[in-house]
Amino acid sequence: MNKLLDSVMDLGEQMLINGGEVHRVEDSLKRIFSAYNAERTDVFIITSSMVVTVHDKDGNSYTQTRRITDTGTDFEKLHRLNELSRKICSERLSAEEIKTELDKIPCCLKYPLWLEFLCYALISGIFTLSVGGGIAETVVSFLSGVLIRLVILACDKSINSKIFAKFISAFLASAVAYIAFGIDLVPAVDRIIIGNIMTLVPGIGITNALRDLLVGDSMAGLLRTIEAVITALAITAGYFAVVFLTGGAQL
Amino acid sequence: MTYAEIIKIIAGLSGSLCFGILFNMHGKKLYASAFGGLMASVLSLIMETPVADEPVRYFMISAIISLYSEIIARILKTPATPVITTSLIPLIPGGSLYYTMSYAFESDFNMFVGKASSTLKLASALALGIILVTTVFRVVTANQCVQRKSIQHNKS
Repeated sequence: MNKLLDSVMDLGEQMLINGGEVHRVEDSLKRIFSAYNAERTDVFIITSSMVVTVHDKDGNSYTQTRRITDTGTDFEKLHRLNELSRKICSERLSAEEIKTELDKIPCCLKYPLWLEFLCYALISGIFTLSVGGGIAETVVSFLSGVLIRLVILACDKSINSKIFAKFISAFLASAVAYIAFGIDLVPAVDRIIIGNIMTLVPGIGITNALRDLLVGDSMAGLLRTIEAVITALAITAGYFAVVFLTGGAQL
Repeated sequence: MTYAEIIKIIAGLSGSLCFGILFNMHGKKLYASAFGGLMASVLSLIMETPVADEPVRYFMISAIISLYSEIIARILKTPATPVITTSLIPLIPGGSLYYTMSYAFESDFNMFVGKASSTLKLASALALGIILVTTVFRVVTANQCVQRKSIQHNKS
């Protein structure tokens, strides 16, 4: 049972790391253990920690905790993990089998890096265009999208702080916008920044946070809310640091 | 259809597609989410006149898109949340968030409060729309599981 708990915790941990919601993970774990005839399963999960206690029929109880430090969004992995958890429920795999299945997952499909650069550029370009930006504004926004991805890549390799990465990329992107404005390339900066912001904004974070709160996962919801608010503040600070430096000229 | 409308629709489609790629979605799931983005932007254009109130409009669109995503997710046997999240990208109030912070920065607190509350309203409308649909689906599927379990019990 202990080994089983260990591998199922690994599964849950991976789900959380790759963008699974707290509710989904709790639900999967409960279902898995009830498939293994657990008497009772207590699962407590927030975005940064998991605590699971399983009581078996003989009156023994097993507890494990996991600290989750990493978060990301990888829906392909999440999809496979979800499939695996269904498979565990229906076929009642052994602990070793779950481990081998889990080890297979990380090497699944990935997009090449240049495509990610292109996506950042396209997102920020196209949203600038859609709020009424001209050709020059769109091109500047497109280029700063590339810059943002580059900064995030560099920060991932060096300092490993998402919030700081967002601050720096917001700073550089708005510096580019202001330089373009300074040399009269574009009529205003706001449309460029709105385009760039789409790649950085915690919009999904805020929506998910509200969702967690309204569903009743208050702890997870609060943590997500705070994360989203701090990210938004970091982006704001990045953008407006440039305004300060240029003397708070024209917005 | 005007030029601006066409651009908005293309933005919705490619925004969802690009975010789908960044979230590492593949194959049919990616196309379904991109189509969801297209739907979201088309719907927000169509409903602009009949539903004048912005939060209400966002709520309705997000409910429709969630319904679409839940159905697609059942067909493709994948969690619904990724599809919903990616499809709703075009509705994310990025511009509104930008103006909120720019007013905060200019210390224009009247405008700041107005913008902040409208941003929050839009985000809650999106979240409520999603919850409405996912909760209904969860109740339906939970019942299915109970039935399946009781069948298994009967067999054994």
